[in-house]
Amino acid sequence: MSSNQCVNWQGNLACIQPGGLVIKSRHTIDGRHVFGPDSDFTTLAVSGLSLLSEEIQITSITSNENIDLLVLQACGYSIIEDGEWTIHCANDSACISITKGDEMDWEVTGNETDRETYNLMESAWQEEMTAVSQGAFVSEQAYRSGAASRMNFSSQRLGDIRIWPPREMIGDQRPVDAPPLGQSGIIESWTKLSAGGAPSEFSLRAPILGGIGTVFVKLNEGPRGVFLIADDETSSPAIGKEVSFTLRRIYAQDGLIRYGLKALIC
Amino acid sequence: MVDVAVIGAGQTKYGNHALGLKGMWAESAENAFASIDGDFDPSMVDEAFIGSIAFGGGQIGNTAALLTEHTGMDNIPVRRVENACASSGFAFRDAWMAIKSGQADIVVAGGIEKMNDLSPERKRFWLGVSGDTEWERLAGLTFPGTYALMARRHFHEYGSVHDDLVNISVKNHLHGLDNEYAHLRKDVSFDKAQNGFMVADPLTLYDCCPTSDGASTVILAADHVAKKLSEDPIWVLGSGAGSDHLALHDRPSITQLIASQRAARNAYDQAGISASDIDLAEVHDCFTIAELMATEDLGFAARGEGGLFAREGRGRRNEGQVTINPSGGLKSKGHPLGATGTGQVVEVFKQLRGEVESSRQVRDATTALTHNVGGSGATCAVHVFGRDLK
Repeated sequence: MSSNQCVNWQGNLACIQPGGLVIKSRHTIDGRHVFGPDSDFTTLAVSGLSLLSEEIQITSITSNENIDLLVLQACGYSIIEDGEWTIHCANDSACISITKGDEMDWEVTGNETDRETYNLMESAWQEEMTAVSQGAFVSEQAYRSGAASRMNFSSQRLGDIRIWPPREMIGDQRPVDAPPLGQSGIIESWTKLSAGGAPSEFSLRAPILGGIGTVFVKLNEGPRGVFLIADDETSSPAIGKEVSFTLRRIYAQDGLIRYGLKALIC
Repeated sequence: MVDVAVIGAGQTKYGNHALGLKGMWAESAENAFASIDGDFDPSMVDEAFIGSIAFGGGQIGNTAALLTEHTGMDNIPVRRVENACASSGFAFRDAWMAIKSGQADIVVAGGIEKMNDLSPERKRFWLGVSGDTEWERLAGLTFPGTYALMARRHFHEYGSVHDDLVNISVKNHLHGLDNEYAHLRKDVSFDKAQNGFMVADPLTLYDCCPTSDGASTVILAADHVAKKLSEDPIWVLGSGAGSDHLALHDRPSITQLIASQRAARNAYDQAGISASDIDLAEVHDCFTIAELMATEDLGFAARGEGGLFAREGRGRRNEGQVTINPSGGLKSKGHPLGATGTGQVVEVFKQLRGEVESSRQVRDATTALTHNVGGSGATCAVHVFGRDLK
């Protein structure tokens, strides 16, 4: 961290500076950085921490009330009161700095986004927070118990075979815990669902987005999975294309935002 | 061991039904009882198995008891069977096994679903309940999405194309046109089906079955009873079933259904026949790609040649070796989830007895098959039927 390294990172704008890292949404309105359609401080924080972790080992973090601590923990970070690193959330901008001291900033130009679409999406998320299930349901307990796999690819091993998502087998088929999988793979199939074809959990936002994209991916270590495509991904999916993953909002229900890994097309 | 026959079968019309669960079941059961040639009374039934997902949550618990009490089957052992869209295919298998085991002589297998009394929003909450909720639903998938992934992969691996699916859609709508029980009785042109509204790319509206209300009822009997009650019993020559990983991502291949292959193999082996002996098949075409894959999994087409099979029109009524979905299938006849499996048996029963509308009759049919799939293929029941005991 001897000099500034500024990059596009997981759909965000990030800059590693001598004192830490600044990460901002790439979306702006009148020059002010605003969150993308499935992003917030939590997703920015996880994205920034993953970039910082490529440079140094992060031992402990002090977070704040704008960040979902379950998500940070699921991603393998230790959260304490007086952590080595502190996450600072900007007051009026979709910007986070992760430093060993005071808040930092970095001037960077983003991409202007449509104000009306942004406002519609913000309203949809607020409304969705009060939604309740009327049928199929992933409970908070189920969501929490699968968080490390969903957000960090924590996996299992049975002999030479890597397993993800985790399974609860018995006898000599019982797998053991294994390190998280690398976050990349190849598209084996894909679809884009119209708003009418998407589950009800997405019914408020899918029409704004023009539908939702899903990819069927073979991860580099072997397991396969299905993933949403990040809402602000602009590249089109195709069989054989490589994908990486980034943490984003999936949907909200019962006052709880569900997060998970979404695909970015390389 | 005892042989088992279907001696009666009936159903409601599928579609947007004015009747509720009890009314639909009563109509279906009454039609089935009326189809029995001999002197039959519902009190003669020993046992009943009724398939349903209990869509919408209107009557999840004790569905079977509620329904049978309205149709004269008082105080007998009954239960609801749930295996997603294969619920009544498995109810039929359970009924067959009850007779095979010697524990019962006359058994009712049926199915029912009420889907269209829900708001669109609530309906979509229920349409994804049979996948791996925790991993597939959180990735935005309901079944249109799941089958769309299968379709695109099949196109990639085998060179099938969307027009192959269009051919299936057009064929099934044509087959269902004269079926008085069908939900969507409309002649759909190739051009219209080709250019339908995109639901889950590459699947359009014309690749997707409708959501239907409906009920179906089948009466099975042991051979010694069947011969007394029926002049023309339809014999169950083979019953096969299988299962697979629930989540698509846990399966080694997404372009074939292992559960279907296993179920078919077991049913064919029991019947002592092969796919080439089948004259007509009611297959589970919840999406057109599902029929394409079924033609391969059931052995009507070689692996990877389901697209060619559809392109050449080999499943059209009375045009090829086998007629696929003479009822119109789920695409045209409709798909009231829990009722579909035994609804397929109703069609086979009538076809083999020569009792469907003359315009729909498969000529000289002696052997038939039903194929009922749960969800994206986690469960499957296949049955083989014949006019004669082999």
